[in-house]
Amino acid sequence: MLKIIYRRLVEVLIFVLLITFVSFLFIRLAPGDPVLTILNVDELTVSQDQVEKLREDMGFNDPLIVQYGKWIMDYIQLDFGHSYITNQPVMDVLLAVLPATLELMLGSLVVMVVISITLGSLSALYRNTWIDQISRVFSIIGASIPSFWLGLILIDLFAVRLNWFPTMGRDSFISLILPSITLGVAMAGVYVRLIRSSLLDSLGQEFIRAARSRGIPESRIFIAHAFRHSLPPVITVFGVSMGSLIGGVVVVEVLFAYPGIGKLIVDSIRQRDYPLIQGYILIMACIVFIINTIVDISYRYVHPEIRLKGRRNG
Amino acid sequence: MNKNILMLGAVILVLLLTACSNTATNEKEGEKHLTFVYNFATNSLDPNVDTSYVPLRAGITETLIRLNEEKLTIEPWLAESWEGTNDGQEWTIQIRNGITFQNGNPLDGVAAKASLERSLKDNIAIQNALKIEGIEAEGQMLHITLKEPFPEFISELVNPNTSIIDVTAEDYVNKPIGTGPFKLTSFTPGSKLELEKNEDYWDEKAKLDSVSFVFNEDSNARSLALESGNADVVFRPEVESLEQLKSKDGVKVESTSTFRVHQMTMNMEKESLKDINVRKAVDALINREEIVDSILLGYAEAAKGPFPSSLPFTPDYKEKETGADIAVEYLEKAGYALKDGKMQKDGKQLEFTLLTYSARADLPLIAQVFQSDAKKIGINVKLQQIEIPEEYMASNRDWDLATYSNLTAPRGDAGYYLNATYHPNGALNFSGTDQPELTAIIDELNRTIDQNKRAELAEAAADYVDENMINSFILHPDTLVAYDSKKVKNWVTSRSEYYMITNKLDVN
Repeated sequence: MLKIIYRRLVEVLIFVLLITFVSFLFIRLAPGDPVLTILNVDELTVSQDQVEKLREDMGFNDPLIVQYGKWIMDYIQLDFGHSYITNQPVMDVLLAVLPATLELMLGSLVVMVVISITLGSLSALYRNTWIDQISRVFSIIGASIPSFWLGLILIDLFAVRLNWFPTMGRDSFISLILPSITLGVAMAGVYVRLIRSSLLDSLGQEFIRAARSRGIPESRIFIAHAFRHSLPPVITVFGVSMGSLIGGVVVVEVLFAYPGIGKLIVDSIRQRDYPLIQGYILIMACIVFIINTIVDISYRYVHPEIRLKGRRNG
Repeated sequence: MNKNILMLGAVILVLLLTACSNTATNEKEGEKHLTFVYNFATNSLDPNVDTSYVPLRAGITETLIRLNEEKLTIEPWLAESWEGTNDGQEWTIQIRNGITFQNGNPLDGVAAKASLERSLKDNIAIQNALKIEGIEAEGQMLHITLKEPFPEFISELVNPNTSIIDVTAEDYVNKPIGTGPFKLTSFTPGSKLELEKNEDYWDEKAKLDSVSFVFNEDSNARSLALESGNADVVFRPEVESLEQLKSKDGVKVESTSTFRVHQMTMNMEKESLKDINVRKAVDALINREEIVDSILLGYAEAAKGPFPSSLPFTPDYKEKETGADIAVEYLEKAGYALKDGKMQKDGKQLEFTLLTYSARADLPLIAQVFQSDAKKIGINVKLQQIEIPEEYMASNRDWDLATYSNLTAPRGDAGYYLNATYHPNGALNFSGTDQPELTAIIDELNRTIDQNKRAELAEAAADYVDENMINSFILHPDTLVAYDSKKVKNWVTSRSEYYMITNKLDVN
């Protein structure tokens, strides 16, 4: 286990270095820089000379490789810089809003897991019945409905008409429910079908038949054997879909005025606030990496075959 | 299995019941509380740096000078009076007596100097705008020396980033201390501010006890917040939802014309647009009434020039004839003729590349209306979507026209717009205007301190722009605010959009 974690740490360093380099290039090659925003040209008289001087002073006229060199040296010294727009230390800004986003991601995952396991299992157990049909319709709607629209419908129904939930903000646990459902339903659509097909596949395996012939109760067969056996492909997709969850968070955060990292970063991209964007990429890369590592490790527990294979090969 | 399902059901039920009992509000019993939803979110409240200007809008901070929203002229606020030398390079500002910051510290010349110096140090835009060389404080007096003569200096002090704060309270980002009628009790970055009445306010005390100043950038969600009763006042509700909002008992929608203009910027370096008749044809082709009615749903004023009609320096424009026929007449004067359905000269069809961008949702629609109207008289308009207009227009000169939105007199003075847009060195001079006569008027404006004379010069510049058709002006969009009129009293939708939560605002 320690060997795996050690190997992973080396991988993460290479991965972070690569991702920072590529993202740095992409961000800087995109048209625009923050100079006009910093000078507030929309409201204050600014001359072209002042624009050019600031561009020069901030080093935006330097060759890209020089800019990257300066930036990576600062990063190595754990100096993540200050936001160009608000002048605040980058990590202070990002870490202040990160918990809200993690909370929202966790809430959505809970909703997604509850819906997809319930519907997926039911539709596998009662294949080709009305339950299966309903779950099929849910999957199609869930996967195709835009989350901003679903969010608006939920606000209209539960916040405006029924007045059960607040329309926006992050005041208490209650504020988390509608945004989590919005995001969770959108994700669950894919998983319901995946769990269903994976379960059906497991239920048809010979070891299930063997278990039945030994007289093991049906509920135990389902949970301890069939369900467990069906998890690896679901976990794989789960690891991959973390990226889309991070993207989906942005829309929901804007709609529910939920003060998270997604909304912050959209504004930063618009304003070309490079230090914030780079800091965000670093944090997100680490989160995705951690989740994927957990996913990898969890395979070994849900699917002993993988663990045993590893032992044989090692 | 059944037991598990029952457990799950019970958990969901408990959650829903908890939800039902929740009426998340910060209102205490018997307290006058108002919830305001603003259309922009900020993670920093720094009054001197952050351009969302939330501390001023929320009534936490104040500036030395303010804009009188009725007369659209400047007036004293924290300052009592001011005086400048004839060339406008030296200024003396007298600060009111008896003002204290929300932490009890007195506001005197030294405190005001420290605050101004702090904004100069941390905000390069303010440094450029104010051109301050040095400040001296003496009692309640500030003596300010500028780097160069700058008659607009006093009106620049209306800028919310020159808010006077107590610099000894150093958490500017999360807890700025100002002199306004409301003090901050809590700030959730990107989400909301909670404010309470400043009992020691120097002017008439606030009528409200507390205010929630909430951010929501989704216009639909803002409208829904008002409908659900989660909000009392919402800034810029969804235009399409206005009819539904109005049908709700007590909801009032207010619209006020702003200092903004949506314009058709013309690249005067392009051969075809060097001819004034072509520019006049473009202007005649813009169907302002249709755009105002169909795109802005009537919530805008058709523009005759850059400045809205309410400003004192707006010229009395002659009515211009517009329409396809007039456009064709101008084009014929420019040597074009409509042949085979194509407007052409020397066998070449008249074509324009029209830039537009989606940050202002109405601009691409305006561009489409223009494209369709131009097509009717044989002009081929190619639409090009860009991301950052300022960046693109400054560094690329391959375009002909651009839909663009400009603030024209954000602090009640024309100097900003004329310098930025028509001075050869202006950062927003995308049309490439370099007209010595116009530059001379702007330069004279930059040297003139007398307000009446300044207004005359601004009017002369606006006239020059009109006569020479440098850019064409489409409309002045309205600011929309919807509120519960049964509850909210004394709400004023300000043109400058600077003053929102005031000491006069009240609830039943």
